[in-house]
Amino acid sequence: MTSDDVDPVAVAPLIAAQDITRGFFGNPVLRGVSIALRPGRIHALLGENGAGKSTLINILSGGLRPDSGRIVVNGAPRGHLTPSDARKAGIAVVQQELSLTTTLSIGENIGLGAFPRRFGLIDYRTLAGRAREVCGLVGLDEPLSLPVGALSLGRRQMVEIAKALFRNPRILILDEPTSSLSARETGILTDLLGRLRAQGVAILYISHRLNEIMALCDHVTVLKDGVVTADRPLAGIDAAGLVRLMVGRDPGDLFPTWTAPPAAPPVLSVTGFAAGMTRDIALTVQPGEVLGLGGLVGHGQEDVLLGLYGAIPATATAVRVNGATSLPGRVTRANRLGIAYVPADRRREGLHLIHSIATNLMLPAFARQHGLSLRRRRQEQGATAVLAARLGIKGDLMRPAQALSGGNQQKVALAKWLPHDPRILLLNDPTRGVDVETKREIYRMLRQLADAGQAVILLSSDTPELVNLCDRVAILREGRIVARIERRDLSEAAIVAAAMGAATAPAGTGGAP
Amino acid sequence: MNAMNAGKTSAAVPGRLRTVLQNRALQMLVIVILVWIVAGLSSRGFASFGHLRYLLELAAVIGLVAAGQTLVVIAGGIDLSVGAIVTVSAISLPLLSGAGDATGLVGLLATLAVATAIGLVNGVGVSALRVHPMIMTLAMATFLQGALILVAGGTAVSAHNPVVEWLGSGRLGGIPAGILLWLVVSGATLALLHATPLGARIFALGANPLATLLSGVSVPGTTMLIYAVSGFTAGLAGIVVLGMNGQGYVGIGDPYLLASIAAVVLGGTSVLGGRGSYAGTIPGAILLVTVTALITVVNASPGWRNILFGGLILGLLLLSGRERARR
Repeated sequence: MTSDDVDPVAVAPLIAAQDITRGFFGNPVLRGVSIALRPGRIHALLGENGAGKSTLINILSGGLRPDSGRIVVNGAPRGHLTPSDARKAGIAVVQQELSLTTTLSIGENIGLGAFPRRFGLIDYRTLAGRAREVCGLVGLDEPLSLPVGALSLGRRQMVEIAKALFRNPRILILDEPTSSLSARETGILTDLLGRLRAQGVAILYISHRLNEIMALCDHVTVLKDGVVTADRPLAGIDAAGLVRLMVGRDPGDLFPTWTAPPAAPPVLSVTGFAAGMTRDIALTVQPGEVLGLGGLVGHGQEDVLLGLYGAIPATATAVRVNGATSLPGRVTRANRLGIAYVPADRRREGLHLIHSIATNLMLPAFARQHGLSLRRRRQEQGATAVLAARLGIKGDLMRPAQALSGGNQQKVALAKWLPHDPRILLLNDPTRGVDVETKREIYRMLRQLADAGQAVILLSSDTPELVNLCDRVAILREGRIVARIERRDLSEAAIVAAAMGAATAPAGTGGAP
Repeated sequence: MNAMNAGKTSAAVPGRLRTVLQNRALQMLVIVILVWIVAGLSSRGFASFGHLRYLLELAAVIGLVAAGQTLVVIAGGIDLSVGAIVTVSAISLPLLSGAGDATGLVGLLATLAVATAIGLVNGVGVSALRVHPMIMTLAMATFLQGALILVAGGTAVSAHNPVVEWLGSGRLGGIPAGILLWLVVSGATLALLHATPLGARIFALGANPLATLLSGVSVPGTTMLIYAVSGFTAGLAGIVVLGMNGQGYVGIGDPYLLASIAAVVLGGTSVLGGRGSYAGTIPGAILLVTVTALITVVNASPGWRNILFGGLILGLLLLSGRERARR
C-alpha cells in the first residue's frame, strides 16, 4: 500500500493541535496555531529560527503546556499532553540537539528509557536483537557495543533516529534530522521515511533544506512569527514560493554575487599534508579566494581545518603559511600567523555560553594581550559595540551568550575574529542549523571578507553554498582529495558525484574533471 | 510579571535591588556582621576590638590559601594539595634558613620558591600529562605527606627567622602583619581576576576549555600558572602559620585544605568553573573562623561547627538560586 492508495485528508488525524497559544515571559511565541498530523503523510514544518517550531514540537510531544488551545489525540480532545501521554500515543521525537549519552553504547542509547526487561533486569539479548533491527533500517553497521562518543555527528544522528524507531512510533517528529547527515545518509533516511509513510506513520519533518522538503514531503505548514502563514499540500508550490511564505520576501538574493579574486601569490600552500584521517593533501589558497571543502560528512574535511589550525597534530612535506615554512602546530601560533577558525559546534567549541556576549567577542583579544596588563573597559565596550552593530546583534551585550538564538550565536563566533583581521579564515560549516535570514547575512559577510583580500577555506555540508560561494572546491573522500572543481565547472551534481565517487570509476584515483 | 510589563523606572529598581541582594559577596558580608552582632550581644568580649582582630588574623591564613584555590576553582580545577603545601612551607622554612641569613629573607624566598615549584608540578601534571586535577593534586598531597615524615619525622621544628616572626606577630599601626599581607594578596587577586586579560582567560578556561583553546588562549600556560599561584599562596600561608605558631610540625596545614574549599564555595564561586570572585571568598573565610570561635565561646561540641558549615553552604546555594544544568 502506498500513500497514493488512500486520500490522506479523508483519514482522521492521529494528533491535532488546535488554536494553540503559548508565550514565554510575556512574549507570545505561538498565536492560534493549528496543525494536524495524519497517518501516511509526511508533513513539513517550515519557519525561520525563532518562528516557534521548537515550541510547537514540544507541545505536541508533551514537553510544554500550551497557554490555551487544545490537543486532539485519536479524536479525544484535551488541554495538554504529559510526556507519558505522548509516549502512550506513540509519539517519538528526533531532537535537533542530540540527546545521546556519549559514554553509553549504541545499543544502550537506543534502548534507554524503554529497555526490555526480564526478571526486573535489562534483557540485553532482546535489546540487541531489536536494536540491530532498527540499526539495519537506518544503515548503521557499527557494532552495537561501540560507545556513541566514538561516532561522528552524522552517525550519531542516525543513532538518534534508530532510537526513535525502536519505540515503534505511530507519530514521528524529526527536528532538522539532516543538518549533519551526508548525502548518502540523507538518501537512506529518505527511503526510510517513504517506507514509514507507506506503513501509515504520521511524520512531521522540520528542515531548512528546501529541496529536501520539496522531494520528500506531501503537505506543509509554514510558521512565521508564531502564526501559521500556510497550511497546504506541497503540490503546486516551488522552493522560492516557500521562502516567500517564511520570510515574507523574495529569496532571489540569498547568495551575494560572485567576483573573481585578483591574481596574487598564495597566502597558504601545503603539500603532503596529513592530519587525523587525511593523507596526501595538497592545497593552495590565495588572498581574496574562497576555497570550498566538500564531500560526505566525516571524510576528513574537518581534520584538514583542525590540522591547519594546529588544534590536532599534523604533518606536511612542504608548507608556506603567510610567510612561515612550517605548520603552526599550536593554536596560539596559528593565530599569530593570521589564521582564525570558526567551529561547527558553536555551543561546545565556539562560545562560552554562560559568559556575556561582550566577553565572548573579546576573548581572542584577551588571548593576545599581555596577561598582566590592565584591561581598558571603555575601549572594550567600544570595540564590542562596533562589532555588534556590524553584525546586527541587538540588545544588551552583557546578556549571557546562551540567551541568543542559534543564528546570532554563530555571528558572535565569527565576529570575535574580525578585529584581528585574519589573513586566512577557516570556517567549519558556518551555516549549520541557521535560518535563511542569518545565512544571507553570513554569506554577505563572507563575500566582504574575501573582497577585502582575506583567504577563506569554507567547509560546508550544504552543497548550494559550495556552488554559489566558492572559487574552487576540493572534494574529500576517505581522507584524500579526490576531485578539484573549478568555478566554471561547479554544480551541485558535480560535487555530489565526486563526493560519492560516481564521477570517476576507480575509487580513490579520481582527479580533476 | 506585572513589574516587567510596567514602565522602565518601576522595573529597574527591584531589578537592581535583586541584583545587589543576589551578590554573594554582599550576602556573606551581611551574614558575618549579623553573626558578629548576635555573638557580641550574647557573649561579653566577643565583639571587642582585640577579639575581632584576632579572628581576622586567623581568617587571613585561610584567606591566603583560598586565594590560589579561588583561581584554580574558577578555572575549572581544584587543588587538594594546598594543606600539604602549607605544611611543607612551615617545615622547610626553618631548614632553609641558614646561619648566614640574618634578615631571614633568603629562607623565606627559598621556601616560597619550593611551594611555587610544587604548584607548578601540579600544573604540568594537569595540563601536559592530562591528569584529572583531583587525582593530580591528591597524589601530590600524599607524596608530600610521605616526604615530610621522612624529613621531619614526628618532631616539631622551630624557626629563628626575623621576617617570619614579624609576619606572625608583628604589627604596623596596630594592624597585625598577617592581616596586612592578606590585604595585599586580596587586592592583587581581585585585580588579577577582574582587571587583567589573564583573569578573563581564567574565567574563559573554566567556562569552556575547548572553546578557550580554539580562541587562541594558551591553555597549558594558563593552567600551569594558576596552580603555581595556588602553590605560592599556600606557601605564604604556611609561613604566616609558622610565624604565629612559633614552630612547624607534620599536619599543621591539614585543616586549611577543607577550609579553603569551604571559603571558596561559601563565597559563591561555581565548583563547575567559569563563575565566581575572590570578593566572596574573603567574607567566606571570615565566616568560617567566626563560626568556629562562636562554637568555642558557647562551649558546644565541635561537631556543631561542621553541622553549621554544611547547613550554611546548602542554605546559601538555595538562597542564590541553584546552578542551572549546563554543558
